[in-house]
Amino acid sequence: MTCIALGRAIGRGVSAAAITASLISAPAFGAPVDLNKWSPEYVRSIAGTEEFDTAADCGKVTPLDYKGRLTFWYQGVFEGDPDLLRQYYKDFFEAFRKTYPNIELEEQALTYNDLLDKFRTALLGNAGPMVVRLQILGGVEFASKGYLQELKPEDVGYSTDDFWPGAMKSDIWEGKTYGIPTNNETMAFIWNADVFKRAGLDPEKAPATWDDVVKYSKQIHDKLGIAGYGLVARKNAGNTPYRFMPQLWGYGGGVFDEATESPTYKQVELNSPASKQALQASYDMYVRDKSVPVSALTNQQADNQPLFLAGQLGMMISHPSDYNVMLDLQKKATGGDQAKAQTVIDNMRYGLIPTGPDGRRAVVFGGSNIHILKPEYVDGGKVDEAAAKALICFWASPEWSLKMAYAGSNPGNLNGFKTKWMKERLDNIKFLDVTTSMLPYGVPFPALPETPEIMNIVIPDMLQNALTGAMTVDEAAEDAAKKVEEIMGGGKL
Amino acid sequence: MMNSPSNPTPKARRPIDRWRWTGRLFLVLMLLYTAVPMIWMLLTSIKSGFAALQFPPQWWPDEPTLASYQKLLDPTNSVGRDFLRFFWNSLFVSTVTTILAVIVAVPAAYAFSRFDFPGRKFLFFAVLLRNMFPAVIFLVPLFILMRLLGLVNTHGSLILTYLTFGLPLAIWLLKGFYDNIPIQLEQAARIDGATRFQAFILVVMPLSVPGIIATAIYSFIGAWNEYIFAYTFINRNDQLTLPVGIQRFFSENTTDFPGLMAASFMMSLPVVVLFLLLQRYFVKALTEGAVKH
Repeated sequence: MTCIALGRAIGRGVSAAAITASLISAPAFGAPVDLNKWSPEYVRSIAGTEEFDTAADCGKVTPLDYKGRLTFWYQGVFEGDPDLLRQYYKDFFEAFRKTYPNIELEEQALTYNDLLDKFRTALLGNAGPMVVRLQILGGVEFASKGYLQELKPEDVGYSTDDFWPGAMKSDIWEGKTYGIPTNNETMAFIWNADVFKRAGLDPEKAPATWDDVVKYSKQIHDKLGIAGYGLVARKNAGNTPYRFMPQLWGYGGGVFDEATESPTYKQVELNSPASKQALQASYDMYVRDKSVPVSALTNQQADNQPLFLAGQLGMMISHPSDYNVMLDLQKKATGGDQAKAQTVIDNMRYGLIPTGPDGRRAVVFGGSNIHILKPEYVDGGKVDEAAAKALICFWASPEWSLKMAYAGSNPGNLNGFKTKWMKERLDNIKFLDVTTSMLPYGVPFPALPETPEIMNIVIPDMLQNALTGAMTVDEAAEDAAKKVEEIMGGGKL
Repeated sequence: MMNSPSNPTPKARRPIDRWRWTGRLFLVLMLLYTAVPMIWMLLTSIKSGFAALQFPPQWWPDEPTLASYQKLLDPTNSVGRDFLRFFWNSLFVSTVTTILAVIVAVPAAYAFSRFDFPGRKFLFFAVLLRNMFPAVIFLVPLFILMRLLGLVNTHGSLILTYLTFGLPLAIWLLKGFYDNIPIQLEQAARIDGATRFQAFILVVMPLSVPGIIATAIYSFIGAWNEYIFAYTFINRNDQLTLPVGIQRFFSENTTDFPGLMAASFMMSLPVVVLFLLLQRYFVKALTEGAVKH
């Protein structure tokens, strides 16, 4: 899909205006990047137009000769991640240590699915780190429980306008700000052109609607005997809501009214007819058509990717990083495998996530935020605030928020889009346009302390209840709505 | 028609022992059940990342490579450095746990076996009581305790915890073994002038070597494989143990399967070698404890 086509697609999106308004509802005056002009062309036009001196900028926040100690936990990148990204993480810590040679940094990388649980346990024993970088879902939960210190971009030398307003919402609890976005992401729809062709579908055209996804999935399965769509429904795994919520919102449903222009999060909508229609679509694919992986109930994205790369899965929702992962695999393959890997790369296609029946297109506005803990919850009972701010300034800088999100996400600091590295990304990452084009369709998860429980437990439970036949679609939706009401009423699951 | 001499009567066939063959078939199936995942692990570890994802799978890799092992064993790259450090940490924690478990379990089991003291039955039950609850319910209380003791982020927290969880079964295992060593042997030694301690060291200990080895293997394997406490108590890269370290082959959206399988294979080696060398003692100890002489 070309940039122009993507721009037009955004223009056509029925709900895009509302969602964009939700994302940019904060004052944008004086914002360095004009979100009102957001389009692939605009992103290209600003890339590489400005240079930033991270050390000089952060030196104004914490002097470069500052002596201190800092403990820091974050979701790390590991062996399966693209080499490029792992190198940038390595470079980041080297650059930080070089810039602040007298800050003793003890960083701890944790895996995606373990970070929240490990952090919660540490907090129970008052043994947390001084600084933590959490998935976007986590900030409000911990802020509402009183674990986090107030922290806003201005505290580390930036302006709130330098960040997506939708992302800033995920750091605000009861009117106070408790963190700074480091990166923001919206995923895209990926399909295998060869699988589409062999199944009698147009290899260059993504399904336009979620109803089409159901039809395409069945057609692929019936003709080729492989899974059509990469449905995931694993419990307590962030991948599940990231892939089901676009479908739920697309059909016009929601947990609350989070996909509207001014969400109030008051009325539970999981049992609305539109939400049930979205759940029915998953039911149709898994139970009626059997056109998705049998293991979908325990699958997460890491299970879909091998299937997709092996040509055993037709389409899925994922990051642009999948393209980089494939490039790495191709580079490391030998002999005949290298040619096979190249074929997979040649057949990868990226497009906008399908719409619902009324043209509504939506995607989860994801990412991560960085926070400072209160001293009483930190191992040792002290927080070195100057050292903490130095690290946060460094990570949230235009340079590093871009580099650390190079392969799979986008910079939290909007000025990152202006750097030369953004230009380099646009040139090197084939489908980046598509995922940046999805940004205006991004819907932030409700900024509520209960959101992690709702998204990681209730939503997958609802899917599993319906897909295993333990409940009908109606019953599963009603049950989930009841659970959300109970949680919001102060109850626990 | 009569049989000619050149066409002798066929020999009576040995009746097929159906139970024997069923047993053999069962053993073969069990062998496959346990061996196939190990073989598959080994085969995946010598594939490239792309080859490991192929479907239908490459049963034998088209282009076998030892790249994953080279990476793991090369201390000059970060993956190798981390892996070797995690390996060493696991070896240290498991070895110290094993030594301490044996030092504590041997006299404790002997006391439960030989002495009739007030509250003996209650104490023995109390020792086993811990094993009746899932370990996870002790996770947060133990974490808080370790923090109060200043042991979070140290191997001491793991060694202490593994002893807590490993000792009950170790004591129970050894007690069964001591119960089967005739007390008359010790009495004879005492008559010959040995003290109780000498009788224990010179008579009972040599006879209980299989039981001690079994206890050691059991303690070592338990500590070597333990994940949840190591994952919770250790927040420093340089202190992590292998089961937690191996998690690093899983990323948010991808898994490095050849690396994961190579690391898993390397991790299973010490336990497999230990077990192969000492399995006869292990089996003997388990069966000795089960039969009254």
